[in-house]
Amino acid sequence: MKYDLRYNPAFATLFVELQPGERLTAEAGAMASMDGSLDFVTTFSGGLFTALLKRFFGGESLFVNTFHNPTSEPRTLVLTQANIGDIHHIKIKAGESICFQPGAYIAHMGGVTIQAQWAGFRSWIAGEGLFKLKIQGPPQGSGLVFFGAYGGITERRVQGDLIVDTGHLVAYSPQLKMQIKLAGGLLGSITSGEGLVNRLSGQGKIYLQSRSIGGLVKFLTPKLR
Amino acid sequence: MEFDLLKRPDSTVVHVSLSPHEEILAEAGAMVAMSGHLQAETTLRKGKGGGILGGLKRMLAGESIFLSTFRSGNSPGDLYLAPKLMGDVCHVGIGSTGSALGGSGSGLVVQSTGYLASTPGVVVDLGFQGLKSFFSGESIFWLDISGDGVVFLSSFGAIYEIEVDGSYVVDTGHIVAFEKTLTFTVTKAGGSWLNAILGGEGLVMRFQGHGKLYCQTHNAGAFGQLVGSQLPAREA
Repeated sequence: MKYDLRYNPAFATLFVELQPGERLTAEAGAMASMDGSLDFVTTFSGGLFTALLKRFFGGESLFVNTFHNPTSEPRTLVLTQANIGDIHHIKIKAGESICFQPGAYIAHMGGVTIQAQWAGFRSWIAGEGLFKLKIQGPPQGSGLVFFGAYGGITERRVQGDLIVDTGHLVAYSPQLKMQIKLAGGLLGSITSGEGLVNRLSGQGKIYLQSRSIGGLVKFLTPKLR
Repeated sequence: MEFDLLKRPDSTVVHVSLSPHEEILAEAGAMVAMSGHLQAETTLRKGKGGGILGGLKRMLAGESIFLSTFRSGNSPGDLYLAPKLMGDVCHVGIGSTGSALGGSGSGLVVQSTGYLASTPGVVVDLGFQGLKSFFSGESIFWLDISGDGVVFLSSFGAIYEIEVDGSYVVDTGHIVAFEKTLTFTVTKAGGSWLNAILGGEGLVMRFQGHGKLYCQTHNAGAFGQLVGSQLPAREA
């Protein structure tokens, strides 16, 4: 598979060229356009029950589409996201894994598995959903996963402690410990506008987005009266 | 008339330079800035696609019923035009101008919110693409662009062109415009109607033939839902 990421960072879009016989899975709704000779199969993401959990508690789509090139020529497929922002890819090797916040996952290929994992009630209170998506590398070799965000994506290594605004976290290594808490005291959290923050500790990698939908919602809400 | 598309692809603004006695037509609200002596007139547009009926037809198509005409008078002038949403603007040549600009020159069918501006020789009319348009999920009506000149299209996201040779599928929320030489059907995307409704891909347009497609990378409805689902309900 060849791919070209265009129009980043504001309207990042994946222009994929599927080679004959190749398969790629993407969340429902990710396909903007594709060559007419590609076919695809729609399945429940991870099985019906897992899909329902993901949809109602995780904010993920109920379905995924697996695109396949049945012809003998490479064919194009254009994948995008609902967010205005950037798209990154992660190459996941056997034994590696990464967790995504709801809505971040776009597509994957190469034997990668996607599971819904319990994220804890605190995560729900923080508005991040009850479930998180855990992407695991294939049994051998490596796979590719694409994810997007609202705004630009910054990669950061965590060594020790890092405090992150909950609305800006996109993806993180599963071994990082999270603690959702108020930004300051109760009054401090409300007046500073920071609300709830996430204290990450341990060793791992995280991806941050430069804007948050929650921030946009806070801007728009008073304008709707 | 000369024009320049600045800040593509995410915050595009069109800089138009008018020579004396020239004019350009734009959707209401598109003007960002203009030379002081330019005459701006709001019109329902004369001729085919004009008059009260033309205005009403455009309103049905999702466009404002008013169009603005900018005239330069005796001296040259310039103006900046921009669409309402973040995204791209592209220009397409129509008729003999189209052939000169490298296009095929055949008319265009434009999704109702995709029209930004056009030169006076271009005819902007309501085109009904048949009952199949009802099921596209997007606006029922499309704009029929013909005549001779340049039309400016706007989008949510970046605009990318596809040269169709055979068949090509586009999600209904991602189509900006297509050449009239193409035929299309609206079909469900997945294997079953349940998938189409719940699957998110919903309905797609399958194009056949030879011609150019103008697609947008993002879907305003999808982004709107992402934000809108968290906004408080409107008070009655």
